[in-house]
Amino acid sequence: MNVQVENHDKVLVAKVEGRVDSSNSQDFERQLQGAIGEDVKAVVIDLGQLAYISSAGLRVVLLVAKTLGQRNVSISLCALSDPVQSVFEISGFNRIIQIYDSQADALAAAG
Amino acid sequence: MSATLQLRVPNRIEELPGVSEAVEALGQEERWAQDVTYAIVLSLEEVATNVVRHGGGEPGSSEIEIEVTSSDDEVRVEVRDDGRAFDPFHEAPEPDLDAAVEERQIGGLGVHFVKVLMDETSYSREGGRNHVTMVKRRS
Repeated sequence: MNVQVENHDKVLVAKVEGRVDSSNSQDFERQLQGAIGEDVKAVVIDLGQLAYISSAGLRVVLLVAKTLGQRNVSISLCALSDPVQSVFEISGFNRIIQIYDSQADALAAAG
Repeated sequence: MSATLQLRVPNRIEELPGVSEAVEALGQEERWAQDVTYAIVLSLEEVATNVVRHGGGEPGSSEIEIEVTSSDDEVRVEVRDDGRAFDPFHEAPEPDLDAAVEERQIGGLGVHFVKVLMDETSYSREGGRNHVTMVKRRS
């Protein structure tokens, strides 16, 4: 698992690659929380290269969404593969976190 | 055609990626569909993580026995451990799927995934051991 960070003005894009499971979800949380600076106004998490996520990883996404919500920073997800999309649907997270088909759509909405 | 994978791993979280890898390799050999593989790897990780986190023993103090049997029409997954008695399908809390992001509780999702993604789930306590069975049909 690896998190790559890009800044598009004040929108932070975090690209997650590989697998997030119970063995590396703490590292995922550290990398993601560590990447989000003070002056960010929106966060887009690009899951296009994410092959696998379990409940341990969804827990981190929810934690980050809660932290950002308290700071009035918007959060969205994009480019989910079919299996990853279905995990977000089963969890009901697709109803509480905005999901876009592509990073371009997510950036347009965040900008 | 039928194939069985048997694994015994110490009750440590760090052992679980190796389990996922072995199950994915079986899925490739047996030509499981992508959603079948995801459902099985995910359900096994969720159940085994529960055993490690809630079984009560120190990490590495006992073993988890895993058996995955792939046949033409279904994949059967069995997990046995000697941790404290715990029926994940009836004792784990149900997540509130309709709660807003601020109110949504952290956790409780793993067992929910298993219930939704697998076609059959059962639990029994046999000879002081927990025995979880999960079945996924291939079509």
